[in-house]
Amino acid sequence: MSKVEVRLTVNGAEYVRSVEPRYLLVDFLRRELGLTGTHIGCEQGVCGACTVLLDGQTARSCLHFAVQVSGSEITTIEGVSAEASLSPIQDAFHRNHALQCGYCTPGFVLTTVELLRQNPSPDETEIRRGLTNNVCRCTGYVNIIKAVAEAARSMPTGEG
Amino acid sequence: MAVPDRPGDDSWKIVGRSIPRREDAWLLTGQGCYIDDVPEPSNTLHLGFVLSSEAHARIVLIDAEEALALPGVIDVLTGEDIARLTRPIHTGFLLEGHRDTTRDAVAREKVRFVGEAVAVVVAENPYVAEDGVERVLVTYDPLPAAVALESAAGDDAPLVHEELGTNVVLESTFATEGLDEAFADATRIIKETFRTGRIAGVPMEPRGCLATTGRAGEELTMWTATQIPNIVKTALAKLLGHPESGIRVITPDVGGGFGTKAHFYPEELVCPALALKYGRPVKWIQDRREELLTNIHAREHIYTVEVGIDGDGAIVAMRCNMMANAGAYSSYPFGATLESVGGVRFILGPYHIRNYGYETRAVASHTCPAGAYRGTAQPTAMLAIEGMMDRIAREIGIDPAEARRRNLIKPEQLPYTTAVGTHYRTGSYSESLERALEMIGYEEFRTSQPPDRLVDGKYRGIGICCYTENSGMGVAAVRARGWSVLPGFDGALVRVASDGKVKAFISHAACGQGYHTSFAQIVADQLAVPFEDVSIVVGDTGLTPEGTNTFASRGTVTGGGAAVRACLVVAEKMKRIAAHVLEVSADDIVIENGVAMVQGVPDMRMTVREIAEVAYSLTSHVMPEGDDYGLEATDHYDAGMPTISNAVHVATVAIEPADGTVEVERYVVVHDCGRVINPMIVDGQIHGGAVQALGEVLMEELVYDDAGQLQNATLLEYSLPTALDVPMIDIEHIQSITDENPGGFKGLGEGGVIGGVPALTNAIADALAGIGANVNTNPLKPSRIAELIDAALESR
Amino acid sequence: MKPAPFEYVSPETEEEVLDLLRRHGDDARLLAGGQSLVPMLNLRIVQPAVIIDLGRCPSLAYITVENGSLVCGTMTRQMTAERSSEVREACPLLAAALPHLGGTAHRNRGTVGGTLAHADRLAELPAVALALDAELLVRSAGAERTVAASGFFLSDLTTSLREGEMLHAVRFPRAGVHHRAAFAEVGNRRHGFAVVGVAAALEVSKDGACAGVRLAVMGVGPTPVRLAEAEHILVENPFDADILRTAGEAAAQSVDPANDIHASAAYRRRLTATLVERAVREAVA
Repeated sequence: MSKVEVRLTVNGAEYVRSVEPRYLLVDFLRRELGLTGTHIGCEQGVCGACTVLLDGQTARSCLHFAVQVSGSEITTIEGVSAEASLSPIQDAFHRNHALQCGYCTPGFVLTTVELLRQNPSPDETEIRRGLTNNVCRCTGYVNIIKAVAEAARSMPTGEG
Repeated sequence: MAVPDRPGDDSWKIVGRSIPRREDAWLLTGQGCYIDDVPEPSNTLHLGFVLSSEAHARIVLIDAEEALALPGVIDVLTGEDIARLTRPIHTGFLLEGHRDTTRDAVAREKVRFVGEAVAVVVAENPYVAEDGVERVLVTYDPLPAAVALESAAGDDAPLVHEELGTNVVLESTFATEGLDEAFADATRIIKETFRTGRIAGVPMEPRGCLATTGRAGEELTMWTATQIPNIVKTALAKLLGHPESGIRVITPDVGGGFGTKAHFYPEELVCPALALKYGRPVKWIQDRREELLTNIHAREHIYTVEVGIDGDGAIVAMRCNMMANAGAYSSYPFGATLESVGGVRFILGPYHIRNYGYETRAVASHTCPAGAYRGTAQPTAMLAIEGMMDRIAREIGIDPAEARRRNLIKPEQLPYTTAVGTHYRTGSYSESLERALEMIGYEEFRTSQPPDRLVDGKYRGIGICCYTENSGMGVAAVRARGWSVLPGFDGALVRVASDGKVKAFISHAACGQGYHTSFAQIVADQLAVPFEDVSIVVGDTGLTPEGTNTFASRGTVTGGGAAVRACLVVAEKMKRIAAHVLEVSADDIVIENGVAMVQGVPDMRMTVREIAEVAYSLTSHVMPEGDDYGLEATDHYDAGMPTISNAVHVATVAIEPADGTVEVERYVVVHDCGRVINPMIVDGQIHGGAVQALGEVLMEELVYDDAGQLQNATLLEYSLPTALDVPMIDIEHIQSITDENPGGFKGLGEGGVIGGVPALTNAIADALAGIGANVNTNPLKPSRIAELIDAALESR
Repeated sequence: MKPAPFEYVSPETEEEVLDLLRRHGDDARLLAGGQSLVPMLNLRIVQPAVIIDLGRCPSLAYITVENGSLVCGTMTRQMTAERSSEVREACPLLAAALPHLGGTAHRNRGTVGGTLAHADRLAELPAVALALDAELLVRSAGAERTVAASGFFLSDLTTSLREGEMLHAVRFPRAGVHHRAAFAEVGNRRHGFAVVGVAAALEVSKDGACAGVRLAVMGVGPTPVRLAEAEHILVENPFDADILRTAGEAAAQSVDPANDIHASAAYRRRLTATLVERAVREAVA
């Protein structure tokens, strides 16, 4: 199968690779760029473990072909915080024990980035609604909901 | 409950604190290393499995020509090919009444469930592996299938394993003496049948493995997403005929287990077998469809329970008849007995029931094998006994809480041995019930609850579950269950490096429980060193001592126990070294926060680092006479029979009559797992378990059609709870310390789901009791609840 | 679950798209937002030889209000429509339905035309289109036709689009000033696929009665169904409890749902009644 060129800006760095057209964005990030923080959970867009920011908006990286989004800017979990530090959202997840196995966590963090960008002070119902598109099998969501509320309180408006 | 006066008890300073987890540092930043993240050598081969499309069929022909013609497809192997490289998977089970079955890693001659592997494609990358799988053409001669539990148990059911002559793969009975007489003495007899639907653990990360070989095949390293690396290692040695000393099994970060990953699976045999065959790394990553089709299923149970009660509602006699759908094959290492034996033994719960008998059967069927999912049979067993408590209350007109009070084991009855011989050392059965009722405002709820349960247009009910949780099984416990391939003990190696930093290697495998934090808390306290100075290694048979690993709420009891004991040895040695250098008696040395000092003479001191430098001969001091160099100890700990935790869950629900939807409004838990190591982590385990219970009760169900086709092998069709479905959960702890193990710990990993299933079901049953609906079948999807409401209203 | 190989093309004009469609015929699939198509590709349920990506064709993404209609180009992202003040004002039912589609990450990428052309039996927008008598603007190389929603959705995942045709845009009639709308659905959990959903758009007269009503239900058959009997009962009547109940019951009687693993036929019928009442009540509230 012939390959096509894909050019992506991921976490601020530009990458150019040649892949098959059918290559999923999540495989591109993981296998071509070694950014394994984006996880594969269902490859049907249901679980949200593969969530990334695509041009600033959450998107399922398992439901896009890399070639389809060539030229876009992607943020993955590796780009959420500076090296060896936690963003306010990550820190709130840490302090509230909002992760257990951690497999779904990158998707939840990126979903929270978008949620708080659009609604810096969500109430509990808005938080639940904002998180409902991501599945966690460990935490029962209780501490994730608390963490997002705490992150919202701790963040100056607009900070991701 | 008084804390036993034992040495070491006053040393718990870091244990008991909600320290935020250490593993978050890598899991939150994308630096976690799950099975698909383990760096794969560039010459890695990728496997794709051809899965049976038939539930029961003879394999007539496997045509791999088209697949082999694809560029990038290296090989296609059938069951016969794999059988030349491996032995069949067989547990060699030792339990009366159990008929063990054998499974080929890849099916030969016959397939016995949809999803069973019939061929394996070896390819250059995962995409091509799937291309190849699609092009392997298998011709089947379909045979009639036995699918649903009751029909599979029938005399004329198609046989799953013809050589057994029956689908009943386990039959076991038990009765205390005088059971019939006790029933004859009962004032009333109440009988009910409870049915629960098939579900699965569904961890967010499917399974996978990567096998590499070295030294001309002498060394085999296998990364696998499992909870049981040591069990996998021993199995591989046996089934590959490879020296066990040359096998290392490593679990990277594991994205959830819940029992699903506490089984040894065929792919874990095929990967290393092919790595040895080709002398190249071989990798396989499961996708979600395969996960739902082939990872262990659970909970397809039928309980028929009969209780005889006295005039006060106290149970004077009980019989339980249970059936569990075991699926097509015995699972490794648990055989087909896990649920069927567990259910009838766990059902006694925290209740004083002296006269008891059971009959239980595990039934093979042409469906995915069943086995361990969080709680194993305990959620359904507790559903049955707690359902009976509510029926007793209804029958004699007392409050459900009162029915429980009249049957709970009383504090003065402890220690207590149940009718089936389970030993309860300490517990807080009544105390936790009363506190939970208080927390949720039970009396007030009941007082304001109208007879029809309709409040603001919704049926509102409250449900209680008092439960016990089997934890920390040791050698005697696994022998009693017949598990011949499980050792039962666990091990810890605690090593202080020359700089005073500590590493503890524990024979468990982490899949979200927070071992890197909670085990470090235990070790830090026991060695009296700062928490920050301790790190933990789990899930690597090349580094940790031998053990039995992580399932059935074993971790804190067996791993924690081993760690405590190893630490005691190291701490004694540290004291001896310090005493030797400071020229005092070791009895006079105390260690606190990383410093050893002479009691009463704080100026006479040595840091743990200075002690370690002596132990590693990096100073001019010599070792005390009789002590060898180094500063480490290994201990293997056998926890014996299970340690029993207990808790009470109480939930309230509101049911919308117009659409049958359920909202869980309040949820409280009073939890007793003995000494709590990290309250925040324990609470997290309870939250997660309770919400898995919510899924089990309200929405989850794996549905096979009559032909044995799984109807919902995607997450689009198999619903898991999301953030909109769940209640907030209030938790309080009672700590009934036990002296059964060195830490005074009791396991707790499964309790959330054990308590949640009955509490939620009973809350729904209570909400619908006003209109006379009888709730005895899970799951309770809105459609089912609406049917119950309609039927109840019609019959009035 | 990785897709089978395909050839990928990403034309930048609609003319190129239509030309490619003409050349490849049924061997090609159009890729809009991909939120429904890619799961099927990953499962290899569909294996087109050619994928024509509409994502680089800017002329297909637009929202306009013209001649008494709201027109959404096929590549209008669902989230763009959800946030559009034109959509809210001109087509409140569409605005009410959009938040029920998948989750945010899906609506960020999913398109209005994509979900209509995909025609999943449990998709919300086909019910909206049917309720509103929307018109589907269909183009092929050198030709254009307009298909009424009632003639567009033929079965689950099947529309009346012919080989070589694509959905160019959807046109919804502009709502009047007394227009009210709601979309109500119930599933086995609060998020995700619904079991049944009802779209309700209505006109309220000055005295508070029903001056006109349009109802459609999804989840009771292979396509959404218009609820004419219920509409007939509601129109020119006040929105009182008895009328709503009667309308709901009439709706339930007019549908013919089937059992499946998620819900019984009887339950779907019951939900039809419940959701007609709920949607109408919510619309007039």
